Amino acid sequence: MRLFSGQRAWLVQRVSALLILLLLLVGGVLLLFGPALDHARWHALATGVHVAPLIVLFFAALSAHAWVGMRDIVLDYIQPRALRLAVLSAIAVVLFAVMVRVLLTLAAHFATSL
Amino acid sequence: MKLSIYRFNPETGEPPRMQDYDVAPAAGDKKLLDLLMRLRTADDSLSFRRSCREGICGSDAMNINGRNGLACLTALEGLKEPVVLRPLPGFPVIRDLIVDMTQFFAHYHSIKPWLIAEEPPPERERVQTPDERERLNGLYECILCACCSAFCPSYWWNPDKFIGPAGLLQAYRFIADSRDVATAERLDFLDDVYRLYRCRTIMNCTEVCPKGLSPSHAIERIRIALLKRSS
Repeated sequence: MRLFSGQRAWLVQRVSALLILLLLLVGGVLLLFGPALDHARWHALATGVHVAPLIVLFFAALSAHAWVGMRDIVLDYIQPRALRLAVLSAIAVVLFAVMVRVLLTLAAHFATSL
Repeated sequence: MKLSIYRFNPETGEPPRMQDYDVAPAAGDKKLLDLLMRLRTADDSLSFRRSCREGICGSDAMNINGRNGLACLTALEGLKEPVVLRPLPGFPVIRDLIVDMTQFFAHYHSIKPWLIAEEPPPERERVQTPDERERLNGLYECILCACCSAFCPSYWWNPDKFIGPAGLLQAYRFIADSRDVATAERLDFLDDVYRLYRCRTIMNCTEVCPKGLSPSHAIERIRIALLKRSS
């Protein structure tokens, strides 16, 4: 597979979509069939050793999916190269920041609970 | 029957306009092209392409009431009035309903629409099994009328880089051909963020094809062929 082939992005978009769907279903089942949802339960669920990695995976898939989708929109609608680069960079920074935020939040929790 | 037709003459320097016509179909007029031919006898400045008048040449493709189609295959009966006729969307207009198809055919030529076979031709034809021949059904019938490409939003945004549904259907026609030996080379050419992967599976192409073909299915087959090759 070539580095800048269209296939890589196409594949990432589809695999991440499946992951998002699967994880949303898992999340839905966990929330629906558990006790009433309050902050304590939500917190306990999100920081559980089994669910926390799934949350990281969910946001990773979401970021990858959003990146390909946003990149496609930018490639279609923004033709000037400098503007395109600026918008793509801004999108990358936002998505990267989301991932960092998720990781830091979970890391902070696990650091204090150790 | 009332019609509203896009008129543009670059020689006058005037902007495009819609012109209303009211023309009565004669007894033998069954298709929209019949009516357009009748209209032209009254107004010979009206320009449109036509040739075979039976859905084979693909030259009378136009936007009919907001949907691309062939005037020769569109029945007058049931057409909503006024019938609004515009040139194929997204294509540069030369005059009235005539569009410039240079880029469309450049994309077609880029996919090498001919059989590439290294072996010298046999005494008779290059044989195929019935199954191998069957795989070309739904692909070889394309008449290159451009109804699909001109109805594809991805092609509207990137007409210079995206090959478009018509070109990709033709590309798959040769990828699927058992007699062609250049499959790897063809797939290499198509594996590009613009040429193939600008397709967003909107499927307007399949929806609008006057020959009932499915370019979106052919595009999916190309993607699967690429996936199989890289796995």
